[in-house]
Amino acid sequence: MTDLNLQNLRISYSGLGAPVLDIAHLSIAGGESVAITGPSGSGKTTLLNVLTGLERPNEGNVRWGHVDLAALNEPRRDAWRARHIGLVMQDFHLFSGLSALENVLLPARFRAFLLPAGVRARALALLARVGLSRPMQTIETMSRGEMQRVAVARALIARPDILVADEPTASLDEASGAVVADLLLELAREEQATLIVVTHDARLAPRMARQIRLVSGRISEGAA
Amino acid sequence: MIPFRFIAADLRRLWAGALVIILLIGFATALGIAVGIQERALRLGSARAADRFDLVIGAAGSDTQLVLSTVFLQTAPLTLLPGTVLKTLAEDRRVEWAAPVGFGDSYRGLPIIGTTQEFLSDKGRKPLAEGRGFEGMRDAVIGALVDLPLGDTVQPVHGLPGEAGHVHEEQAYIITGRLSPTGTPWDKAIFVPIETVWNTHDLPTGHESMAGHAHDHDGHAAVPRGLGDYGLVAKTGPAHGPSASEALPAGVSHLGPPWGEGMAGVPAIIVKPKSIANAYQLRQQYRTQTTLGVFPAEVLTRLYATLGDARLVLAMIATGTQILVGAAVALVSVVHLSQRRRQIGALRALGAPRLAIFGVVWIELMLLIGLGVALGLGLGYLGAQIAASAFTAQSGIALPVTLEASDLCFAALLLAAAAIIALVPAWLAYRQSPAAALRG
Repeated sequence: MTDLNLQNLRISYSGLGAPVLDIAHLSIAGGESVAITGPSGSGKTTLLNVLTGLERPNEGNVRWGHVDLAALNEPRRDAWRARHIGLVMQDFHLFSGLSALENVLLPARFRAFLLPAGVRARALALLARVGLSRPMQTIETMSRGEMQRVAVARALIARPDILVADEPTASLDEASGAVVADLLLELAREEQATLIVVTHDARLAPRMARQIRLVSGRISEGAA
Repeated sequence: MIPFRFIAADLRRLWAGALVIILLIGFATALGIAVGIQERALRLGSARAADRFDLVIGAAGSDTQLVLSTVFLQTAPLTLLPGTVLKTLAEDRRVEWAAPVGFGDSYRGLPIIGTTQEFLSDKGRKPLAEGRGFEGMRDAVIGALVDLPLGDTVQPVHGLPGEAGHVHEEQAYIITGRLSPTGTPWDKAIFVPIETVWNTHDLPTGHESMAGHAHDHDGHAAVPRGLGDYGLVAKTGPAHGPSASEALPAGVSHLGPPWGEGMAGVPAIIVKPKSIANAYQLRQQYRTQTTLGVFPAEVLTRLYATLGDARLVLAMIATGTQILVGAAVALVSVVHLSQRRRQIGALRALGAPRLAIFGVVWIELMLLIGLGVALGLGLGYLGAQIAASAFTAQSGIALPVTLEASDLCFAALLLAAAAIIALVPAWLAYRQSPAAALRG
């Protein structure tokens, strides 16, 4: 279990007066489930980018366990992210022309020339777990709900200890969104992963153990 | 590290754009390859065409014109050499054989060339492909590519191919033999004994026993350029009756050398010297006020220098096209890359290393470029071959179209340049921020 310890985080862009993100302190315990809410432009996506190492803060520390992402260079952050983060995005970012299975395997294929033993079996198991019975189906023939379920399976392929979802239900209809929300919560628990979800979804956010509300780059509720 | 399935799926997804890029690169490469192949083929082909013509003697004038007329049968008005030059050369002990070439008539667009059996058979060294050589005044031998059967009658038309002229009703030939292919314009010509040409135009043949001295040699030597009467002087000698019905006309004892006195002038003489030293001596000896001796190979070399300039222009056009296409492909890939910003960001967000992204973009581009260059090699070769066969059909000069190491070098050079240019979009992809995946 990896705890998050975030301190004195500041992100500002030249040309913008106020910092996009200004968080004095934020802790998330390993295995916790957290919803991040807030109006658009409040810095939710920037916070996710920082938490996943996609963006490096100008100031402050982003400590996952003993690792401070703010101190790592880009290749190291990439490597760290590949090992620790499972990512589900609003637009799925699945790759057409590849089957569901190949999409799930893609992160692993980018990391190793030959798939490590067991990865393929895990991918098939994950696809079955998210309720998809045809792993060889090409992605473009799937419904949006099915696509997001493939993305959830992909996020878990490397056994990440942190599962991050950016508006996972926003581009789905109500029923599909509910399925995906269930899967995220169940799988995070099964895999003992910390779950961080940025969402506007009024049904999804309350199901998380904790809600953090961001307003203008500052935490207005839920800091700890 | 670089997932090839992903690349394959990517290219399949973008197949239309990929195809356009491959074709663009293919055509640009083909242009460069074809120019190279064609120029080499033209050089080799014309050099081979000149192979049999060791030394050509003509009247003083343009040596280029002399070579074009004799080797390539691009006939044009040539000043005549006096008949005595032929006799002297034929009897020179440094000369293996000396054959006159007389132009002026044609049949169905094919030039009729008056010459001797010696030249056709290289004095017995080269057998005919079919039939027999000159035995009588009505005999004609055709080049390998002439589409006429043996035994056919040839009715000469006065004037060069393509020009209107009167039919020589009095002289008709029967085709008795066919030459082996030579890959030269001579494959598309009809050969007749030079004597019959003189005869047709009422010129002395030099075989009229001793009656020949009656003719005015100086008169022939000073003949001006024939107007429309190429290579032959009209009606200067005493008239001989038509003799087509006989094998040899009255007073003509044989065909070809030895020549008697007082024969008519000829536009050019092809000389086969006995040795290289003899060739140089003879050329020197016949470079006089009135005569011109040339080595066709030497003249061709000078022509290639001119051809080289044309080639340079073509090569520059080809290179310019390649640069344009290269720039277009670079532009397209950069624009395409900006459309793939989020996809690349997503790959990075999913944990793909930067170098893998770099590799994916570079390999995708190089696959397209490689396919394009390979296509271009094929197209260029094919194009050169088509152009060469069209040229051969028209001129009779066989062009040896070959793909050589230098062409492959050229393709490799293109690939190397492309590999370097492809680094730019790959580097841009490498530099792209992965944060783009989540924005928007």
